[in-house]
Amino acid sequence: MLNVCLPPSGKTCECGQRHMEAVLRNVASTVELLAVAAHSDVVSEWDEQTAGRAFHWARYCEHIYSRFHSNHVIRGVLEKQLQLTSRGLKEALPEYGAVTLWDLGRCQNLLLLRLLGNPALPVSLLKMLFETRRSAGVTDGDYDDVRGLCGRLVQYKSACKLLRHLPGPPALGADAEVQGEMLMERLESALSRSGDARRAEDLLSSVLQELDGAAPGLCPVIAAALLTTAGSAAQIAAQDFLLDWLQSRHGVLQRVCSGLPSRLLADLAKRHRKFRDAYCRLLKKWASEMEYGISDGEWVHAAADPSVSFQKMTHHFLTLFEACPSLRTETEDELRALKVSDGGFDVRGLSVWGDLLFALSP
Amino acid sequence: MTELQVQQTDESSPNAEELSSWLEKVIAWGHADSLHTWKDISLHSSRLKDFLQQLLIQINNVSSTAETMKRLPLLGQFLGRLCWNPHVTAEGESRGLLFQCLWALYSEHPSNAVEREANQWIRKVLCQLATEEEDGAALALMKHLGVPSKEYHLKVLKKMVTIMQENIGNNQCSRTQGCSCGSIRAASEACVPLITCPEASPLIGALLQQPVTCFRDGLSENFLDALHSAYSRRVLPLEELAVVSLWYHSLPSLEEAVLRLLESATAAGSTPNKIEEQVTNSLLPKACAQHCSIFLVANDIFRTVLKQAERNECVKHVFQTFTKCFLRELSHLQPQTSASLKAFFPQSPPSLLLPLLTMPSEMPQEALKDHLVWVSSLIQQLAEEEEEEEEDSRNIRGHHKVFEAWLLLVQCGHWVQVAAQLLVTSGPEDCAPLLWLLTFYHHPTNRWHHRASQLVQAKAAWDHLCSLFSVAGHPRPADRLQSFISLLSAKPRQPPLAPPLALNLMVNFAVFGQLPLSTSTEMIQKVVDQSGLWDESTRVLGSLRLRLNDRGCVANDRVRLRIEELRNTMTQM
Repeated sequence: MLNVCLPPSGKTCECGQRHMEAVLRNVASTVELLAVAAHSDVVSEWDEQTAGRAFHWARYCEHIYSRFHSNHVIRGVLEKQLQLTSRGLKEALPEYGAVTLWDLGRCQNLLLLRLLGNPALPVSLLKMLFETRRSAGVTDGDYDDVRGLCGRLVQYKSACKLLRHLPGPPALGADAEVQGEMLMERLESALSRSGDARRAEDLLSSVLQELDGAAPGLCPVIAAALLTTAGSAAQIAAQDFLLDWLQSRHGVLQRVCSGLPSRLLADLAKRHRKFRDAYCRLLKKWASEMEYGISDGEWVHAAADPSVSFQKMTHHFLTLFEACPSLRTETEDELRALKVSDGGFDVRGLSVWGDLLFALSP
Repeated sequence: MTELQVQQTDESSPNAEELSSWLEKVIAWGHADSLHTWKDISLHSSRLKDFLQQLLIQINNVSSTAETMKRLPLLGQFLGRLCWNPHVTAEGESRGLLFQCLWALYSEHPSNAVEREANQWIRKVLCQLATEEEDGAALALMKHLGVPSKEYHLKVLKKMVTIMQENIGNNQCSRTQGCSCGSIRAASEACVPLITCPEASPLIGALLQQPVTCFRDGLSENFLDALHSAYSRRVLPLEELAVVSLWYHSLPSLEEAVLRLLESATAAGSTPNKIEEQVTNSLLPKACAQHCSIFLVANDIFRTVLKQAERNECVKHVFQTFTKCFLRELSHLQPQTSASLKAFFPQSPPSLLLPLLTMPSEMPQEALKDHLVWVSSLIQQLAEEEEEEEEDSRNIRGHHKVFEAWLLLVQCGHWVQVAAQLLVTSGPEDCAPLLWLLTFYHHPTNRWHHRASQLVQAKAAWDHLCSLFSVAGHPRPADRLQSFISLLSAKPRQPPLAPPLALNLMVNFAVFGQLPLSTSTEMIQKVVDQSGLWDESTRVLGSLRLRLNDRGCVANDRVRLRIEELRNTMTQM
């Protein structure tokens, strides 16, 4: 069905053209279907078969999205079609909510949301959607039946809630790990298809901007993404891209390094040379921003946000040395040189470098 | 439970007070999220389900939703709060009941404001349950990357299961640092609603198979109970290892499994072949070989059953098959040493362990008779000792040692079969110990000192058989056969000899004797006809055939042929 032949240049051949037209027609129809599902009374006449067909088309759109979202030529074509259809629908239904390209990737959810929000939906369909499966031996996987769709969703979400509250190993957690993996997958395909980095750049910025506003923020996701096992060249390239991006966004890097536990940061440093260097530089930068408070007898970080304590910074260094032992001598030499430049006194409170060296000594 | 409800009057259907106290509980559950709360929820889980069932019936019986809401004003709150309790929504049965209650409250044609509002509320709750995302980050990511919700949540669930599985064994409990574990208990408690969720089954399996390192951190009782209940209702397929672990942890599960096996194996129409198949398929012998404690429990159950039914040939046979399969599994696992045997048979007289647990196939043919004579003398000695003790000290402890010896003999019943076979070729000088063994097997207790007379009868039976089946001696004396048959029936003023004993002997004579098959068959037919012991004779033939088919058993084709012929004749009778 999706046998669209597309040479890398993006130019389509004859049969490709026809296939594309068919795809666009189907997508347009499904968008219209979504509008009907949300606003129309026609839904009251739907039965299980109709609903099944509707969800089938929603799945089709999801498939189209996952196949073509990283191909910017086709992406553009799809977006144009969506705009066209939306305009038409808006004229007919003033309360219509536009469907974006991203929505196509979650088309089934969108359909579900709209159907459930439509008071005309017959209760028989509700019952069918929320049915609980009987047999315990069948795993879901690719089970795409519309019957019991919501029941399964509720089960998975509840099961996750149950397991999430258990005290687990001090790691990132399943949510962050899955989010990180998904991010890497998307990044990988964005980089490999389009060739130019802008798409990937935009993707990262927009995603991470969204994540920024929501708790727990983007730090766990970025860390998880960088900790995923990268086997293929494409995966390595994607991680590299993310690292470069992180280095260029100094604010984000600061937040990551102050928000995550030392152990995790040390693991990241061990894995990625670039991160190690950036992390080290940041720690030293923090040290340089410290001021000695005479009344407390403590070094205090002058910068406001995010601020880090002397103990925390020392702990970061120590954990880092545990993970990357070769770094110790190198760093100590640097610190010693800096201490000398400060006068080389062995008195506490005069040079942050001296005190740091002292704190780091075994 | 449903039938009971129908017969009860309205007073017993849930009333507002009951609902109010349940609501209090549910509110309390919503506030705290600790191990204690989870335990409480698991404890109340089946009662909650019953209550929901009752509510459902009541809602369906009442004419309108408005009426229901009048009678049970707190119903909306109650159901609403349950919807947000993951313990209730994760488990299939409770989720199903909850949703059914909601649908039952939905009015197809709302006639007043209450019903219209109820409809709206139900739709809203269901919509929220299915589409709302608590985790803002997750939602942002899903939206921007175009990931469907189902895919996301399923991935997260699977990842959680994997992470937990890997980390389960990692919490070490050290005596010096104090016990900070409890993770296994907590994990098993959280998994109670997930027992029938296929995606969680690797975790359930891992929890079950986790070796118990700290007595304070065992699997939660609720977890084991829920597993046992789901497994016995056959809604939960478990892998072999997991089943064995379940039996190891949960005594009720194990007991039920053993009793179920006994029931099915002693059902009518069970041939020795079928019995062996059933026993092997039950996984019990394997489990027993892996865990001594499982074997001891299973043995105990058999022991109790046999104490009340010494004469039950069916049960004896099942026990014997069970032990045979168990020994086979054990030999696969580890080299047999006498030390480990003692652990499995702590109550049996130690002197009898090695002699009886050795398989006849492990010895040369010529040594079998001496071996059996030895075993017979050992048991005789035990019996005499115990009888002396009893007379001396008025010991009401009972024939404990002798009973255990008999039990072991039953478990190793193949030796009794060998004894019967050897009696065919024995002479009058050496038949006595073998006959003693056979008599003891069928009459373990020497109540009222009847053994002496039983031995006499056994000898008489053997004498009859010897002459009936001797090659020389034509024509067959008809009265000989008649006297043999009369031995099989009860007589006044004489303790009867167990019919299976004589019958067993006769079948052995027919199979291993030198008489032409037709004559033997004729005699057996006559005996079985007149005594009505068809079941017993087919069983004996079946076991004989099975034993001879076992590995390491030397039997020539002639014997096999005779057995087949006899079986054919029996089935045609």
